[in-house]
Order: sequence, then C-alpha cells, then structure tokens
Amino acid sequence: MNKKRLSLKILIYAFLVLGLLLILFPMYLTVIVAFKTPAESAENFFSFPRQLYLDNLKTVVRAENFLYFLVNSVVITAVSLAVILCFVSLSSYAISRNKDSRYFRFLHIYFLAGIFVPFQVIMLPLVKFMSRMNLTNQTGIILLYITLANAQGVFLCVNYLKSIPMEMEEAAHIDGCSAFRTFFSVVFPLMKPILVTLFIMDALWIWNDFQLPLIMLNRSSEQWTLPLFQYNFKGQYSFDYNLAFASFLISMLPIMIVYAFLQRHIIGGLTDGAVKS
Amino acid sequence: MRKPKSPNKKMPFYIMSLPSLVLYSFFFGIPVVSGVYYSLTDWDGMSKSYRFIGLDNYLNSFQDGRFWNSFRFTFQYTFILVAAVIVISLAIALLLNAEIKAKGFFRSVYFFPAVLSLITVGLIFNQIFYRAVPQLGERFGIECLQSNLLGNPQLAIWGILITNIWQGAAMPAIVFLAGLQSVPKDLYEAATIDGANGIQKFRFITIPFLIPMLSINLVLVVKSGLTVFDYIVAMTDGGPGRATESIAYIIYQQGFRQYQFAYGVAQSIILLIIIVFLSVIQTKLLSRKEVGQQ
Repeated sequence: MNKKRLSLKILIYAFLVLGLLLILFPMYLTVIVAFKTPAESAENFFSFPRQLYLDNLKTVVRAENFLYFLVNSVVITAVSLAVILCFVSLSSYAISRNKDSRYFRFLHIYFLAGIFVPFQVIMLPLVKFMSRMNLTNQTGIILLYITLANAQGVFLCVNYLKSIPMEMEEAAHIDGCSAFRTFFSVVFPLMKPILVTLFIMDALWIWNDFQLPLIMLNRSSEQWTLPLFQYNFKGQYSFDYNLAFASFLISMLPIMIVYAFLQRHIIGGLTDGAVKS
Repeated sequence: MRKPKSPNKKMPFYIMSLPSLVLYSFFFGIPVVSGVYYSLTDWDGMSKSYRFIGLDNYLNSFQDGRFWNSFRFTFQYTFILVAAVIVISLAIALLLNAEIKAKGFFRSVYFFPAVLSLITVGLIFNQIFYRAVPQLGERFGIECLQSNLLGNPQLAIWGILITNIWQGAAMPAIVFLAGLQSVPKDLYEAATIDGANGIQKFRFITIPFLIPMLSINLVLVVKSGLTVFDYIVAMTDGGPGRATESIAYIIYQQGFRQYQFAYGVAQSIILLIIIVFLSVIQTKLLSRKEVGQQ
C-alpha cells in the first residue's frame, strides 16, 4: 500500500516537472536570445549568454517609441476597466432585482446574446460605423471595450447576485436609502468577489487584445498599443532574430512584472468568482 | 418579499440600466443588424452605391473553394484543440489538486501562459519552429525536426495547435481546479467507507461536480477555436499556400484587403449560425448531467 502511494507521488511530481519544463522552455529561449549577439546565437541557439549584451534591447526601445505604446496600453486598459465595473454592476443589479418586469427580462437576454455572437460578425460594419463618426482612435476603442464587456459581465454578475440575499437591501430601503444609495453602500461591496474576477478577465483581455487595435488604431503609430507594436515590429527583424526576441521580451515585461507581484491574487480572484457563480 | 412595484419606484433601475443599454445598442446592436443588411448587398466597402442581391453572398460562399477550405481547416483545428485542451487542462487541474509541496509555485507557473498576448506567443513559437527546432533536429540527427513545421502545408496546422494548446490550457485548468476544490471532502470519505476505489470515486463524485466547469470551458474553447485569428496572423499568414486560412482570417482579408466587404460579412453570419447551433446542442447535452438534476 505504502509503496504504491510512493510511486504514485513520484509519478505526479514527474508529470508536474515535465509540464513545468514545457512551459518554461520558450520563455528561457526568449530571455537568453534577447541578451546574445547575433554571432553568439548563430554558434549555439540554446546556450546561456556569455556576457550581458544589452544592445538588442536598446535598439528596440530606441527604434520605436516603446514608452508611448506602454502608456497607450495602460490608459486604454485602465479607463475601460473603471467604466466597465461601474456600468456592468449597475445594469446587472437592475436586471437581477426586477425579474418580474418584461423590460428587464428582455435586457438580460439582449446582453447574453453577445456571448454567442463572434466578433467577426460586427467587425466589418463596426469599422465603417466608427470611421464615419471619427471614432477610429483611443476614445472609440475604449467605447468598444466597454460595450463588448457587457455580455460576459452581465452573465457573471446577474448569476452572482442571485446568491446575495435581499434582506439587507430591504433594511436599507426601510431606513430611507434611495435605490442608488442602497446600491453603492450595500450591494456594490457585496459584489466584490465577482467584480474582482471580472476585473482580472477583462484586464487580461483588453491588455492583450490584438484584433480591435488592428482594425481601429493601425493608421498612425502614435495610437499603437503593445500587441500592435509587437505585430508591426515584425517587418524590422527579418534578418536579425536576436532583435525579434528582444522585442518579445520587452513587450512581455510589463505583464510579467505585474504577474510576479500579484499572481496569488490573480489566480485566487479568478477561482473565487468562478466557484460562486 | 418587497419589490419596487409602482413605475415611480422602478425609475432608478431604469436609469441604472441606461448607460449599458445605450452603448450596447449603439456599438453592438446596430452593427449586428446592419451586418445582416449588408450581407444581402454587393457592397465592396468603398464605393458609394451598392445593389441589393438577396442571398447571393451566402449561396456563392458555399460554392467558393476558398471558403470551404477555411471551413475545413477551422473545424479540424477546433476539434483537435477542444479535445486536447479539455484533456490536458483537466489533467493539470488534477495534478495541481493532489497533495504536493510547493503548490502555489506550480500553480503560478502553470497559469503564466494565460497572461501573455496571443500575438507575442504566436511570434515566439514562429521563431522557435523556424530557428530552434531545426537546430535541435540537426544536432541529434532527427530528420523530421530538421525542416520548419510551419513551412509544410500538411503539418503547419499542428504547429499552430501546439502554440494554442501551450497557451490555451492554462485558463480552463484553473477553472477545473476551482471546480475540484468545491467538491465536499466528506463525499470522498463516505465513498471510501463504502469501499469505492479511486476510479469509481472519480467517475461518480468528481466528474458530476465538474460538469458546470466543463460546460464553461467547452463554450470558451470552442469559440476560441472557431474564431482563431491572432495565431494565424502571427505564425503563417494563412500559408503555406492557403493551408492554414481560418474563417476569421478570410473574413478579415476579404473585408479589409480584397474589397469584398459584403461577402465577408455574409461569411461571418454563417459562422454565427454555426456557433449558436453548437452552443444549443452542448447546453442541452450537458445540463442533463449536472449535479442535482435527474
């Protein structure tokens, strides 16, 4: 019995470590190639760099206005998220507490329909529509993220609100709170777990999104986000792949740093909301 | 239970729902409806006038070799992706849920691919298939590794799939892990007392509790497979030849590059119909098997 258990344990660790290596190998390559000279990596692709060669990274940062793209990505993600959390929680609350009303039942289905509609369906008409209104810029893309986040957001939040008892809201109502006051001081704090889940999912989506920036912001490089920079930089490294890996490393760096500090909260936040809703 | 009844009391709720409703109708509702309308015309996306041509775009799509080719590619891709991701992510979740040391560390590393952008991961693997794998093949004398996987029309799909699985298994694994942690421990204890073995416990306790998670994961992975775009752009640009053109890729190409705007929109609506159809089937099949429902 004991022997069987021990061998099972060894098997588990063996698989875990195998997976670990498979995940880390591409990351290892990205980091080491970014720090090697072209001659050195031609000699041996996989070896550790002999010295810390920083010219690749410098070339990438200098050739392109990297800081600019970083700021663009941060602004678009932050503004979108702030508005998403506010709008989604408000409309989800209104929907979940008015199930007897035909209007709110319709609204619920209307929002949920968005989950099934692939982005490609609205992509082409949307671009025509946005360029006609002069919205193919950062304001436009933020409006689109806020819109598109509604489908999944309302789905998660309305589900979650089912599990929150109404007694507290009724007490607040009896004490003379308006519906808005009740929402902001009673319901919103109770929704925190699911809003954290939503925040993380939408943050990852918007930060890493490529398709919307590609069709909305690709005209002038001032508007680029990090994924768009990564894509457009492709043409510049066709001969120098050390430069390519330097650009991969640089565009991954911000999210890697955030992840290093917040990984526990990110994973915990995702699982908490997923179980309860 | 007291609920606001008079229209006056409901006013604040209407106001609460208003911002979302307005934005959603403007930037989602109207584009969907106008998309359906455009799909019935011959608009190229640029010129001022266009004609109403009924269902021609749809009928032509079904006779278009390029569309069928992308259709076949997308379905093959989605089928393999879903099978692989579900199995691998469930395995990862079970491993991470076992009694192991350094649980937090393993969990962090396994989730890491999910925070990266698809375009960067695609470009990294593109370089790996182009430069690193052939070097490995030469060094160890393995012939099949010596050429670029992505340059071979028959094998390019596997290169993209490997990339997608590397990144795409992380999120479903965390969802499964959350499901495993929600299974009450005393159920396992009771089953042990009744003499159930490990496989029986997995089959009759673990699986039923994982059905809701399976259902979420299936919806997400199926949708991501049917709409695959970023990896294609980053890794093969639809090539070699047209071997890896997905439906999402040709919709983009036709709409923005080849002045076949209305034609592209029609194909996107075909894609929508397929997704709705698959989702309905899947919800029907899985909702019967959930815990607490007979």
